[in-house]
Amino acid sequence: MKIAVLVKQVPGSESALRVGTEEQWVDESALDFEMNESDSYALEEALLIKEKSAAGGEVVVVSMGPPERTPKVIREALAKGADRGIHIHEEPPYENDPFLIAGIFASALRDEQFDLLLSGLQSADLATGQTGVILGEFLEMATATLVMATELQDGSIKVKRELESGWSQWITLPLPASITIQSGLNQPRYPSLRGIMGAKKKEIKVLSKADLIAGNTPLQSWERLYVHKKEKRTEMIEGDLNQVVDQLVNVLRTEIKVL
Amino acid sequence: MAEHYEAPVLFYIIALFALVYMAYNLRRFFTVRRGKPETDRPVKFLSALINGLFFGIGQRRVYRKTFTYAAVMHFLLGWGFMELFFATTVDFFSARGWFVRYLPELDTPWFAALNDLGGLMLLVGILMALYRRYFAKPEPLPQDGFGGRWNLLGDTGILLLLLLLVLGGFVTEAARIAVTRPATEAWSWIGYPLSKTASASFWETVRPWLWWFHAVTALAFIAVLPLTKMFHSLAVIVNVALTNRDRRGRIRPMHVSQLMEDPDVDLENLTLGVNKVRDFTWKQLLDSIACTECARCTSVCPAYNTGKPLSPMKIITDIRHSLYEQTFGGGEEKDLINGKISETELWSCTTCAACMEECPVLIDHVPTFTDLRRFLVLSEGKPPAQAASHLEKMMNNGNPWGFAQSDRTKWALDGGIELPLFSVKKKAQVLYWVGCAGAYDPRNQQVARAMVKIFEAAGVDYAVLGNEEKCTGDSARRLGDEYLFETLALQNIDTLNKYEFDRIVTACPHCLHTLKNEYPDFGGRYDVQHHSQFIHELIDGGKLKITSSSDRKITYHDPCYLGRYNGEYDAPRELIRSTLRNGELIEMDRHRNTSFCCGAGGGNMWHEIDRGERINLSRFREAIDSNAQTVATACSFCMIMLDDALKVTEQEKNMQVLDLAEMVIQAMEPDPD
Ligand SMILES: Cc1cc2nc3c(=O)[nH]c(=O)nc-3n(C[C@H](O)[C@H](O)[C@H](O)COP(=O)(O)OP(=O)(O)OC[C@H]3O[C@@H](n4cnc5c(N)ncnc54)[C@H](O)[C@@H]3O)c2cc1C
Ligand code: SF4
Ligand code: SF4
Ligand code: SF4
Repeated sequence: MKIAVLVKQVPGSESALRVGTEEQWVDESALDFEMNESDSYALEEALLIKEKSAAGGEVVVVSMGPPERTPKVIREALAKGADRGIHIHEEPPYENDPFLIAGIFASALRDEQFDLLLSGLQSADLATGQTGVILGEFLEMATATLVMATELQDGSIKVKRELESGWSQWITLPLPASITIQSGLNQPRYPSLRGIMGAKKKEIKVLSKADLIAGNTPLQSWERLYVHKKEKRTEMIEGDLNQVVDQLVNVLRTEIKVL
Repeated sequence: MAEHYEAPVLFYIIALFALVYMAYNLRRFFTVRRGKPETDRPVKFLSALINGLFFGIGQRRVYRKTFTYAAVMHFLLGWGFMELFFATTVDFFSARGWFVRYLPELDTPWFAALNDLGGLMLLVGILMALYRRYFAKPEPLPQDGFGGRWNLLGDTGILLLLLLLVLGGFVTEAARIAVTRPATEAWSWIGYPLSKTASASFWETVRPWLWWFHAVTALAFIAVLPLTKMFHSLAVIVNVALTNRDRRGRIRPMHVSQLMEDPDVDLENLTLGVNKVRDFTWKQLLDSIACTECARCTSVCPAYNTGKPLSPMKIITDIRHSLYEQTFGGGEEKDLINGKISETELWSCTTCAACMEECPVLIDHVPTFTDLRRFLVLSEGKPPAQAASHLEKMMNNGNPWGFAQSDRTKWALDGGIELPLFSVKKKAQVLYWVGCAGAYDPRNQQVARAMVKIFEAAGVDYAVLGNEEKCTGDSARRLGDEYLFETLALQNIDTLNKYEFDRIVTACPHCLHTLKNEYPDFGGRYDVQHHSQFIHELIDGGKLKITSSSDRKITYHDPCYLGRYNGEYDAPRELIRSTLRNGELIEMDRHRNTSFCCGAGGGNMWHEIDRGERINLSRFREAIDSNAQTVATACSFCMIMLDDALKVTEQEKNMQVLDLAEMVIQAMEPDPD
């Protein structure tokens, strides 16, 4: 069983985010980064699947990001038990179109012939929720999203998908398959020091985005990153009852547009 | 000269066998060679001598709580036993005619009287012990009647054997007096009246039988002593003598960073932490074989007392049990964790040090427990599930709450305070170490703001590290994550070494302990003060004026890491007294070195053992019962735990929980009267 896990490094959930100077991305200078939450569950699920399958296998962790910080998250995954890493070097501005990102991953992973591809349900920063699915399509894999449980079978994988309002469904996908993982389906392990020391000896293959991007085109482009301005304004409407009602109706209709 | 019953040759042969067998059984001591070398705790000759005398023979710790049942009982047993041992040795010498010029005779008046006293003490002690085991039955005391846990004769059997010895001693003495009728016989104030209870001819007939009976029981006792619970009388002396009291309670550094640099390290066979007996140091094993199973540690343990599955005594004796199983039992080397010791037991410990404070034989529980925890975290990657995410946050964000590192001074900005930063000033007399709780926890932020007011009111030249400060790693270290602790420690030491300051002041005893006592092992040596000591100095030096005084009843909760770990009990109390007018400082039952933990230590701030009562509630009820209106704290974690208990017990209307710094600020406000 050869499994790839997509792991993204994102700003910590308590980060104080500020828009960067070019209004293209957040200012990263004072941020603490961590492994995207659902990706850490995807990693754990991959490790569990490998440990449970009699034939063993390999878990390969894949991440795209800048060389200054991304190796940390790959090492963390290796420390927890992934067997090797693939790091796609990417300098800012970072790609933000899931179609293009998935295309880059497809170029990087196609030749590896993975049986299973696990990714997080969505990344904490972009939160588009599509990367794993599009990548699955590119690699001609069966896909499923929002997976809450997995059961590996002979040549296929049975997964439980979360639906709305507490509903869920079990479906079976033939292998190879790409599934996106919902947080909470397992208990991600803590890296042992033995694991951390072992991780230093594990291979991280470096690829460059520039080489992989050829032939892929984005479907969307990012105009501007900004914070909604919240405004509180109080306007006193004065006059006799009829005037006040007329004016109120007018404001509701033209300014607030609820009527 | 008194006449001695002529011992037949047979006696000497048996005595020789008994002694040889005893010496052979002393090999129990050598089982500790299975442990690793002790590099962290050098043994010093002079302190070995002093420790051996005071804590071993003097049993200093046994009698600290002077008039408890157990202390009186052990006093009678211990000193009665030693007196009789002395008497027997003297008798042995004088019977051989050795040193007779210097030694008293059995019938020398004072010696005769003393020996009967010794016998009586031992007898009463034994009866008290039997009563305790069979009727009083204090809960944590082990109840292995006649065997078990590698104690020959068990807990009761050995008492009965001692009883036979004393009773035998008295009747043998009576027979001797009845037959020889020494002139000073009345001085044997028990043996003499006893000798009058039967006719001289009766004593004459039974004397050889009695003599043999007493001789054989005595020799048997000596022969098996190292196999029974009485082994402690020897092991304890050796153990306390070899204890390095300066390092006691200190966690052994692993120097993980060196290990990580080592290219030849054999990952497959590397043990991180302890899971097998041989992974302990010889001193840790010696601790285990010296444990007297008195259960004093367990009886004060906050985890045990609130229904958690932890008894420090059990863990120490589990280690011994496992050691003996492997050495004498020839058994295979078994894992300790999830064998005899469960993970929940280990995670229940708050590292409050109450057990170490109480232990009469200076056993070092917490460092030993930490080594076991280290195995779970460093080898297995299994910290308590709830704590794991906090450890990850410490790694990623530099604080266990997971707030942004760049928000470390938000508490000041939000309060309109402009903090002097070392990154700007480079140099200040006082480095105020805010700590993660002070920086991020809303309740402790108030304490941090009070600290700033105090610095400013007293005109102190101070600065903070601001966003350069990271968690000291206290919780990580207590939870067994030495890698994380060392990573943070080395980063902080790097930062601290960039700047110039005379001392560090902190309001958190956990930060204090780590910075002051643990960073030196990693190259960071600083003069560190707790804020109670610093503020007390300011008031004493007239730099801070107390203008209004309180009429409240105040009780003070001694934080474990300030009190037991750093010996500071007085500065906080004096500080409180300096703010009082008609108010008073009342003590809870458990205070100073017997203080009862709030429950947050040992990393337990970040996870909860879901069993029994919550420790903070148990402690807070004690505060309620003291009738205090204010509970004073001097620790960031205590503040969180007690403040939570205040709300849970719905006492907010009647009581308040205040840090010392906040109390001082209140006392600096102009008096309303
Ligand atoms: C149940 C549910 C209900 C929703 N309801 C709403 C709603 O009501 N309104 C609304 O606006 N939205 C909603 N959403 C969100 C919306 O569906 C998503 O925004 C969108 O579908 C996410 O697309 P994405 O593939 O681009 O995800 P991405 O954010 O791109 O990421 C998905 C995964 O791909 C991998 N990945 C991506 N980039 C990298 C990289 N650089 N390196 C390594 N791995 C990487 C990671 O594993 C990541 O977790 C909902 C989502 C769900 C799941
Ligand atoms: S340190 Fe405290 S909690 Fe831990 S075993 Fe000792 S007494 Fe119990
Ligand atoms: S560890 Fe110390 S206090 Fe606890 S039972 Fe043993 S000797 Fe007594
Ligand atoms: S938080 Fe306070 S009482 Fe609790 S362990 Fe720490 S110092 Fe002790």
